[in-house]
Amino acid sequence: MTTIGMETQVTAPPRRRLLQLDAPAIMVLPGLVFMVVAFAIPVLILVADSFRDASGLSLAGYRKVLGDPYYIGIIWNSLQLGLITTIGSLLIGYPAAFALSRAPARLQVLLFALIFLPLTVSIIVKTFGLAIMMRRDGILNWLLLNLGFIERPMRLVFTEFALYFGMINVFLPLMILPIYSVMRQLDPRLTDAAASLGAGPVTTFLRVTLPLTMPGVVAGISLVFSISVAAYVTPGLLIGDRFMTMSQVMAKAYLNIRDFNLGASMAVVMLVVAVTIVFTSTYFAEPASRRGRKG
Amino acid sequence: MNVVAREAAHARATPRSDRYLDVAAVTKRFGAATVLKDLDISVARSEFISLLGPSGCGKTTLLRLIAGLMKPDGGRIAIGGNDLTQVPAHKRNIGVVFQNYALFPHLSVEQNVAFGLEAQRTLKAEIGGRVQNALALVRMQAFAERRISALSGGQQQRVAVARALVVKPSLLLLDEPFSALDRKLRETMQIELRHLLRDLEITSIFVTHDQDEALVMSDRIAVMNEGRIEQLGTPDEVYSSPASLHVLEFVGQSTRIGGTASASGQGGDVGIETPIGQIRASMRRNSGPTGKVVVGIRPECIALGERPGADFNEITAELADIVFFGSKTALHFKPPAMEDRIQVEVARLPSGVAPGAALKLHWPIAETMVYPTP
Repeated sequence: MTTIGMETQVTAPPRRRLLQLDAPAIMVLPGLVFMVVAFAIPVLILVADSFRDASGLSLAGYRKVLGDPYYIGIIWNSLQLGLITTIGSLLIGYPAAFALSRAPARLQVLLFALIFLPLTVSIIVKTFGLAIMMRRDGILNWLLLNLGFIERPMRLVFTEFALYFGMINVFLPLMILPIYSVMRQLDPRLTDAAASLGAGPVTTFLRVTLPLTMPGVVAGISLVFSISVAAYVTPGLLIGDRFMTMSQVMAKAYLNIRDFNLGASMAVVMLVVAVTIVFTSTYFAEPASRRGRKG
Repeated sequence: MNVVAREAAHARATPRSDRYLDVAAVTKRFGAATVLKDLDISVARSEFISLLGPSGCGKTTLLRLIAGLMKPDGGRIAIGGNDLTQVPAHKRNIGVVFQNYALFPHLSVEQNVAFGLEAQRTLKAEIGGRVQNALALVRMQAFAERRISALSGGQQQRVAVARALVVKPSLLLLDEPFSALDRKLRETMQIELRHLLRDLEITSIFVTHDQDEALVMSDRIAVMNEGRIEQLGTPDEVYSSPASLHVLEFVGQSTRIGGTASASGQGGDVGIETPIGQIRASMRRNSGPTGKVVVGIRPECIALGERPGADFNEITAELADIVFFGSKTALHFKPPAMEDRIQVEVARLPSGVAPGAALKLHWPIAETMVYPTP
């Protein structure tokens, strides 16, 4: 018996060609080639640049970026930008996604269009529009004055308020979309069942709706954080040099002072920060949505 | 069925003195459509009532109104004398077993059952034992740690029942809980659930569109149509004395023959002229409609052969089909003057009977039902 078994085992593994090209492998090829050319190679060059300067191998860039309080402050600024934008978008976006998913089908189409229409407008146009709105003689100051909230026009442009207002405006749709797509698949009978078991609206939300929509929340957070932490146009137009971010330092390093080593080092730090935060948030959110699934 | 048995059945059907669940004049509208109109129903303590009707008759809406998952546009719902009409679902303590069970996919079997106890802030020390008891009740202890997606349909249903029962609800609502199960399993689960609920003496309302299910499980059946209850009675009553043509058609098999009723004949009978000759019906069970009517007869009331006495109707018809069911055989007759078939059920097929034969049929005039043509 044993010998027979061993014999079969010897002949059992089918001969595999070194590179087996089945249909999915062929389909992934164009994307793979594109990403290698457009992403992997540039990132490799960037990483290489971060470790060398005109004189050869060097850690000068990293020493500056991670050692100089000025640059550490800038990294902190970027993190704060990403964090506040993400939290703001989540606080506004989650209820919006919920309402959207529970709206009657026809209204849903309309609301969906209203939320995603802004995505079709260029960020530059949108941001300039916001800047005009927030000028001293802009509509926001006019409104606040006439409603009696303020005595004289406030400075709004080039403040952090303007920055976060603009950032959340730009990134909100990216938060709503993934949450909505998970929320609409949530069986409304689950909340009915929770209510019939004596769970009030708060308990039902915390124990049923939130855990089951957590995958959408994580996707939204990852998306919004990783893009907003690297935002360049909106901070540049709404607050400018008063609030320097990693992106702006990179742009200055490459375009103005031509210090490729500094720019590349900052870019690598930003990449590491963004990837770390996205992965940790996914990791911490996973147990919440999967609790009890084991076994 | 004789009159004595029917009266006994009626005595059973009359609600026991307490009106435990009391639904009074409840109305529900969706936009312009009125789904329920001035509906009344009372359920006695530990009674099992089925709401039976075609889809869209309002039975699920009534269930959701009782559960508090919807608000009525008018009327009153009370349990044990407490008006619950304005009480939100989570404060009603009414258990619901949903059509697709609505188990929480992110929780284990155990956690699903514990959900209600935790939501109602039961003492932690008490929860474990009560969950185990509830799972034992539905014989699911061995699956306590399982994920919901790893359970079969029948197992999911057991968990849903345990989850609803563990909080000791004052009323249990079941919304077509068997519709996703295959036939064999469904029959087993029906009997099992019926026994369980009877042992626990829990008042239950069961929504179904399956008449067999309703007949098997219920103390009483409410046959619903277009937002109204057409008849409320024991399974026997609903089957043997349907209150309306709709009830006759919806519950069980029947032969229906259109005709014209003339003024009542001799001895309190009514004569109906039909395409297959005159049919007599007892006035005792019919209100004596005149004009266009429909005659209804249950298949098991019709027998083969000449009538044994004057209290029977008799016709001759050609046998069209023999349908063998094992424990019984259905014979379909197709008189040329009739559009529908006459259905007859016999325990055993007499020898020498074959399609094409002209046979005599008879049935008691006491079992002949007459309804005005709608």
